[in-house]
Amino acid sequence: MIRSHDSIIVQTLGRFLIPVVQMFGLYVLFFGQYGPGGGFVGGVILGTGMILSVLIFGHNASRSRIAQRVLHGDGVGMLIYAGVGGLCMIGGGEFLNYANLEIPGLEPASRRSLGIVLTQIGVAVDVAVTAVSIVFSLSAEEIIEDSING
Amino acid sequence: MSHQLPVILFLLPLLAAISMPVVCLKHRHWSQPISTATLAAMVLVSILNLYNIVHHGEIRYVFSGWAAPLGIEWVADGLASIVLLLLSILGLLGVVFNKPIYPKALGGRIVHFHTLILLFISALTGITFAGDLFNLFVFLEVAAISSYALVGVAGGRALFAAFRYLILGTIGAALYLLGVSYLYAVTGTLNMADIASKLPMLLSSKALVGGLLFMFIGLGIKMALVPFHTWMPEAYTYAPESVSPILAPLITKVVLLAWVRIIYWVFDASIVIYDIPILKIVAVLGVLAAVIGSSLALAQRDIKMMFAYGGIAHIGIIIIGIGQGNQTGFVGGIFYLLNDAVMQAGLFYIAGVAFYLYGVRTIDDLWHIGKQAPWLTGSLIIMALGMIGLPPTGGFFGKWYIILGALEAGNYISVAAVVLSTLLTLAYFVKLFEGIFRQTSARSNIQFGEVPLAFKLTMGITSAAIIILGLFSAPIVQLLLDNALPPGL
Repeated sequence: MIRSHDSIIVQTLGRFLIPVVQMFGLYVLFFGQYGPGGGFVGGVILGTGMILSVLIFGHNASRSRIAQRVLHGDGVGMLIYAGVGGLCMIGGGEFLNYANLEIPGLEPASRRSLGIVLTQIGVAVDVAVTAVSIVFSLSAEEIIEDSING
Repeated sequence: MSHQLPVILFLLPLLAAISMPVVCLKHRHWSQPISTATLAAMVLVSILNLYNIVHHGEIRYVFSGWAAPLGIEWVADGLASIVLLLLSILGLLGVVFNKPIYPKALGGRIVHFHTLILLFISALTGITFAGDLFNLFVFLEVAAISSYALVGVAGGRALFAAFRYLILGTIGAALYLLGVSYLYAVTGTLNMADIASKLPMLLSSKALVGGLLFMFIGLGIKMALVPFHTWMPEAYTYAPESVSPILAPLITKVVLLAWVRIIYWVFDASIVIYDIPILKIVAVLGVLAAVIGSSLALAQRDIKMMFAYGGIAHIGIIIIGIGQGNQTGFVGGIFYLLNDAVMQAGLFYIAGVAFYLYGVRTIDDLWHIGKQAPWLTGSLIIMALGMIGLPPTGGFFGKWYIILGALEAGNYISVAAVVLSTLLTLAYFVKLFEGIFRQTSARSNIQFGEVPLAFKLTMGITSAAIIILGLFSAPIVQLLLDNALPPGL
């Protein structure tokens, strides 16, 4: 169980910085198309933002709600990843061969670009969720138990 | 469409595993039918895949369309497809076996169990198909991590065994990775076929010897080869009753298969580095494992512990067959691998039923069962015939081909080791049956109720499979000879 932090400075700074961290995470995720960045790094930064909000506001606070909700989504990222791969297979190509991502009205180049973005989003979601769930399971194991056992 | 079958085989259990925690969030009891259906579908697809590969040759699947040395490649050949069919059938039986047992064995962690089992099986599929040394490592780790978690899933005493398994398994994985990096430094590639084509001119390299050695020790820890076997009996003994029949036949055998792939497909079978014939050393280790494993099994009082040591001995026998470096020995080894997987599954079903229905763990308590549990005693007798290697069973033909192969290679120590291991196996089964049929004046206080259908099915199918593998050994060996031989043998 993580309680909220006492210091007003940490609380106020957290209120300002966490959205910035999240934005930066999204930026790194999408910038992976053109330069250094991508799903894993972006996911780590997004996860860090959520971990920060848990550490600063405590994990029952309304600001940490995203982190609590996100815990149920473990595997959703993998489903996105495998779903894109599966769409490529339905299109007749190999697993993750984005040239065969059958979306009407798209040129081959944009198909590849879109395919990579989607798989990277999948990776980012999974990495972020895993980072949050590690912190939660280190701090309070009954949360994990409850969330999985219903 | 048919060229997609290998990746469909991998995706089926993986997708089921990752959607399991979400789907079963509200309805925990859905997990059992979901994983049963998934694995049944996997059995069907792997039959299709085997049929396709026997008739149309091997499939080289390149992920995302990048050709082999650059991209990641999967090789679905005859050997992989045969092992995969076995793997999916044993996975399905294991999940069926879990149905009546889980409230007691798993302590309520039913969703964890099914998620991990499906993840484990998809990782083993990846190991079987991997055509790339690093990809092999990744799947090795996924399989290993899910099996550590599976051993400890119910908590209690098993957690210590799981932790020990984790430490040793991680050392094994690290050594394997070190070996791969040595090979990568020498050859500049990770693709198995590509390495194989570059190796002949690099045989004087010291890094190559180091890499091979590290890879062998790493995989040796994972396959419980004798000096490195210490994690295995405890992990299998203290794992929950529904976990050990899935872990025991699969993980060590599939890792052994990965080693066979490296030694025969990446390196050449007749390879001699610095006057050291690699296969000879492998065969010597097999001799040690066969004799030491059987002797240790003879010393056990706990049934599951005894069967686990029996499995260690059988890894040795398979390695003796594979280490002979001729067709007869190789096919005998692979055939024995198939048999041994079925026998290990069957033995751990029996041990699970004995504990779950009758509360029997050790030989001293076996007299409680006596003649009153015909399903259990009957299938135990058939399993014993198979483990010892008496004629109508598949165990006999496997050992027969291995001995023929050893005689062909003039390796009389190997022949002696197989025979000695057989005698020791006979000895520990005599000890077991002496425990069952002992005459005592004491009256058993166990209630003999109805045996659940799932137990009858799993024990019956594995016992029948041992006999069927024996009766149809000729066509199966022919299938192996036609489809599963490595190049250059």
